[in-house]
Amino acid sequence: MTSLHTISKAPSSRLFECCLPALKHGDGVLFIEDGVYYCLTDAGLAVSNPDLEVFSLQEDLDARGLMNRKIDQADVIDYNGFVELCCRYDKVISWF
Amino acid sequence: MKFSIVLTAAPYSSEAAATALKFAKALLGQGHTIYRLFFFNDGVHAANRFTTVAENEISLQQQWDSFIAQHKIDSVVCVTSAFKRGVLDEQEAKRQQFEVASMYGSSEIAGLGQLIDAAVNSDRLVNFG
Amino acid sequence: MINNSHRQTITFISRTPPYGSDRAQLCLDTALAAAVFDQEINYVFYSDGVLQLLNNQNADAIDCKTLRNITETLGLYGIKNIFVDRGSLQQRDIHEDDLATAVQFIDAERLAEIIDKSHAVFNL
Repeated sequence: MTSLHTISKAPSSRLFECCLPALKHGDGVLFIEDGVYYCLTDAGLAVSNPDLEVFSLQEDLDARGLMNRKIDQADVIDYNGFVELCCRYDKVISWF
Repeated sequence: MKFSIVLTAAPYSSEAAATALKFAKALLGQGHTIYRLFFFNDGVHAANRFTTVAENEISLQQQWDSFIAQHKIDSVVCVTSAFKRGVLDEQEAKRQQFEVASMYGSSEIAGLGQLIDAAVNSDRLVNFG
Repeated sequence: MINNSHRQTITFISRTPPYGSDRAQLCLDTALAAAVFDQEINYVFYSDGVLQLLNNQNADAIDCKTLRNITETLGLYGIKNIFVDRGSLQQRDIHEDDLATAVQFIDAERLAEIIDKSHAVFNL
């Protein structure tokens, strides 16, 4: 089984770092709300497992002026993509 | 797929109430169903009908209410969280001798058992807080 | 009230300190409700959640209900799978023998497994 982990707070919360040890091979991470600011920090994402799929919510990136920023590590998805991810992974763990 | 959505944060204090609503609309748009909506902790404020906003705006509470009513969603407001935050259904308002209920009629007051039931019987439980 | 046709594993990750917010209490209340409805339950103290287990708490001074006996309460409701994350203890310089309570100490890898085998996870 795989899990989708959503992170919804800014990097200062260190939520992603808190979530990281609990991730398993094949899991996915989705940044939403203030969590999308993680896309500005290489630090958190760089240490992550290369097997990990990372996503970021387009609407929240747009709202914060981050669409044109370098966010190589994360695939950008919209709300429909969010729903699809919830189906693709076996469960959703929310970190807030 | 059968989804249940749990909201634990108040509208406006955080983005979560807005995110959860957009997510709920998107999933119905894809043909999935909502088994239950559960307003928990500060999330119960989303069911408070005693809110006002500028004339050309629609409050998040109103948006939730119309969404729930329009799609006839099983929507539950957690009793333990609600009453101490002033979100009272008709029965409790009457019992406490308030003239009217502060909670929208589109949701129902119930206990944590309904949250567990949602966790057990849904394909996906998604929390927003 | 609850359709109990199938028993599921539900995992609770309690991640907050005891009194600054009511999330620790909510997490406990929700787990107890799940126990009443006869679900298979894992209760994990993770991150700041391990601070709920410190000895010598007395919340009378701040007019709160002391969460002192949280693991006993879980036990009374038949919840036996109670876990404490070792890494979270180490980060906070808390030793296992500072916690006078019957719990199983686990590492994050085991937490990932517990999450993996759950039907639903409450992460409060």
